[in-house]
Amino acid sequence: MSLPSPTVQELLRAVLDRGIPCRFRALGFSMHPFIRDGDVVTVSPKPGGEIRLGDVVAFCHPGTGKLMVHRVLARQPGGYLLRGDNAPAADGLIPPEKVLGPVTRVERKGRKVRLGRGPERRLLAWLARRDLLRPLIFRAWQVLHPLTWRSPA
Amino acid sequence: MTLSGDAVYAPSENIVAREIEGEIIIVPLVAGIGDMEDELFTLNETGKAVWDKLDGRRSLYQVISELAAQYQAAEGEIDKDVLGLVAELVRRRMLVAVEPA
Repeated sequence: MSLPSPTVQELLRAVLDRGIPCRFRALGFSMHPFIRDGDVVTVSPKPGGEIRLGDVVAFCHPGTGKLMVHRVLARQPGGYLLRGDNAPAADGLIPPEKVLGPVTRVERKGRKVRLGRGPERRLLAWLARRDLLRPLIFRAWQVLHPLTWRSPA
Repeated sequence: MTLSGDAVYAPSENIVAREIEGEIIIVPLVAGIGDMEDELFTLNETGKAVWDKLDGRRSLYQVISELAAQYQAAEGEIDKDVLGLVAELVRRRMLVAVEPA
């Protein structure tokens, strides 16, 4: 079932407010390849401690109101610096109350996907802060999928 | 499934239900997780009218009677729809039978 974002957000908040994780389908390419369009993600209530560097979190963008899932690059006074792994720019500083919770599970075609959320998450956050992650992903894609890559004319 | 007209039903504790744009959207809690991917259930305006009356106080007879009066319809016209919806919600474990309050 496809739900408009405000509806998903409201339902997600309602479930998380009960202290229960919530599972839904992610749409878009801003977290490719670690979370792909159509992957099913599970978001858990915010832990008692801080959200960690490198965590992937669901949040409500204060500017657009859209529900998004991106990575924590830094914790700064006033909020979290977030950015999609495949996004051209950071989302800006997101106030803590706009962060709904961390992604604790990613499923792709019925199988669990762990890449990007283990210990490597801190390295990914470090690379993203320096604008190195996206070019690295692009280069890796060229190497791993040569048959799908065509040089520009 | 056979439902008794005297039975009283209420929303299960294992769901989260929200009214959004005139519909009721029900998120079941499956294995301790709110599942919006595989198990989401939506009640349209008519379903919402039935759902709103299943509050743990009214018997199914009372629900049907009140809806018939509300929509100025004969009870015999709506009872099948009401009972069918209740049976489906019970099957999905979104409604549970309770002792009358």
